[in-house]
Amino acid sequence: MSNPSSATMSQFRHSATVAIADIQLQGALTGATNKFVNGRITALTELPHANALRDHFKKIRSATLANLAHYLELFEERATTAGSQIHWAQTGQDAVDIVLNIARQHGVKLVTKSKSMVTEEIHLNAALEANGITPVETDLGEWIIQLAGEPPSHIIGPAIHKTRHQVAELFSKEVGRPLPADDIDGLTAEARRLLRTQFLAAGLGISGGNLAIAETGTLVLVTNEGNGRLVTSAPPVHIAIIGIEKICPDWDAAATWLALLARSATGQPMSIYTTAITGPRRANDPDGPEEVHIILLDNGRSQLAGTPYEEILQCIRCGACLNVCPVYKKAGGHAYGSPYSGPIGAVVTPLLFGLEEYAALPQASTLCGACKDACPARIDLPRMLLQLRQDEVAARLLPWRERKAEEFAAFVLGREGRMNFFTKLGRWGQRPFQHDDGLKLPVNVGDGRTLPSLAPKPFRQLWDEGAVE
Amino acid sequence: MNPRDEILNRLQQVQRDETLPPPWQSRRDFPELAARFRQALTAVKGEVHQVDSLAAAYDLTNQLLRQMAAEKVVVNDERPLPNLPRLPHITYHQVGQEDETLRAFCASADAGLTSADAALAETGTVILTSGPGKSRLASLLPPVHIALVPITALTTDLFTWAASFNRQLPANLNFISGPSKTADIEQTMAVGVHGPKRFIVILYA
Repeated sequence: MSNPSSATMSQFRHSATVAIADIQLQGALTGATNKFVNGRITALTELPHANALRDHFKKIRSATLANLAHYLELFEERATTAGSQIHWAQTGQDAVDIVLNIARQHGVKLVTKSKSMVTEEIHLNAALEANGITPVETDLGEWIIQLAGEPPSHIIGPAIHKTRHQVAELFSKEVGRPLPADDIDGLTAEARRLLRTQFLAAGLGISGGNLAIAETGTLVLVTNEGNGRLVTSAPPVHIAIIGIEKICPDWDAAATWLALLARSATGQPMSIYTTAITGPRRANDPDGPEEVHIILLDNGRSQLAGTPYEEILQCIRCGACLNVCPVYKKAGGHAYGSPYSGPIGAVVTPLLFGLEEYAALPQASTLCGACKDACPARIDLPRMLLQLRQDEVAARLLPWRERKAEEFAAFVLGREGRMNFFTKLGRWGQRPFQHDDGLKLPVNVGDGRTLPSLAPKPFRQLWDEGAVE
Repeated sequence: MNPRDEILNRLQQVQRDETLPPPWQSRRDFPELAARFRQALTAVKGEVHQVDSLAAAYDLTNQLLRQMAAEKVVVNDERPLPNLPRLPHITYHQVGQEDETLRAFCASADAGLTSADAALAETGTVILTSGPGKSRLASLLPPVHIALVPITALTTDLFTWAASFNRQLPANLNFISGPSKTADIEQTMAVGVHGPKRFIVILYA
């Protein structure tokens, strides 16, 4: 599947239709999301006062964003003192240029990467390749989709859409001999063997960052496989790219952040490795990188501060909202045309990359509210989805038929008299289209669907007549 | 204006008075920290042994190394490891000596031995730090990582740890909560992806 950098109404409708018809994909999506959901519930149930902790975390995130400039400056100061080099990037291209400059200075040809959504956001791999630098993704899921030439389909499990047969096929091609699909341990061992040499040969390691702690100038990475540790320990140079919203004031707040992150993401009490990096290797350290660069990426985030959309910056990218979303669970991640899919993607993608290019996303929701319930920061995603829909109407981004239909509905529903009049008119007008199983209108209301016809007597009239218990 | 100032200016214009809530107090109360530690770590396929003396911890360590037929072992230079009796058939690399060959040794070692600065009972986590004589690759590249941890290093959870530590951080601090694992192929758990396949903690009194 190609990687469109947009999701217009027709694109989304098309990719979602294809995804829904793909039985293998549907099975993979159901299996993965159910597993994540159950894990999350079990992990949070085991934690005393999990809901109070989420309320507490919401306050931390909100207060941090209210004073984001202060905490960013503090982080810069403390990280610099520890020996890290801080870079600021307004746009994705700025961040890419900073990375390329550092890579050139060190004559780097091979880069190992740990999973980072931000590097997907700025299309870093394509830029590295265009400049003769080979990026190797080392998170198993990311490596699978890199081999397949696909974008990630889930924030936490980038390759959840792939079956083990598809993975075995990709790996077999890579090692040049057939690998059995049923031996997942064997497939994992092959990945370990192949990637180990890359880890030790790479001149540069690139990571994202789960949070950056201002108090001590520390970057925190959370992984399970150990690739995050390798990428940040083995090569002589480490570059981390992190969104400016991922600042955490201090270690007390970080404890709350970490207590909720893994539980919400994978249902683990804590991920296997939580790595806190405070500068490059010190004078007598036996190993570790000689240089640590941290790129603070804006790419549209600071424009959201102080607006009704600021709340979206509270997101810690745990992916819990994807797993509970009825639209994501059917359409899959690729339909969103963005590294950020599901409810968080439906809000943050149009805000960062353009409402017009991603006009379908605010509509790709039933507004059921399951995302808000699942969010560790209790982000009100449905509120912002509705607000974006209003923005779309104001910007005339909806198809004109839909807009006219909604304007008409607003007109009719606005006054009781009008409503009564049009209901009567409708009962009379529907006659030629009435069949036993509902209305058969000459316009498409969705494949295989019919509208119910208007009742002979409206409910309100039955109520007035006392015919309703 | 440079990018830094532009970003900060934009944020300063919309900043508002809102203060952080006071730190969350741990609401955990485990009757026995070691028991909880063992339960949490074994649940994710880590191995936990509890012994009542340092001498017993040394014995157990060497017994484990014999069982796995280890030939090359990398040892961090941190208490209590320098006094671990060395086995005759094993080649050791003592971190802090000949650090140029450390990386190659770690890549082919059968096991890495470390201690830990602290451990969290709730999540079965040990906390390792970098520093002189303390290699980050020793606990990462070999297929087996054995950590000798004094039982007094146990604290309840992240919150009690964050409340007590002195904010003096090494370049690298790791919270390790099990053997390296992945579930990226069909959500099926596989251990030993990039880091150790076996993570063994010996708690000693």
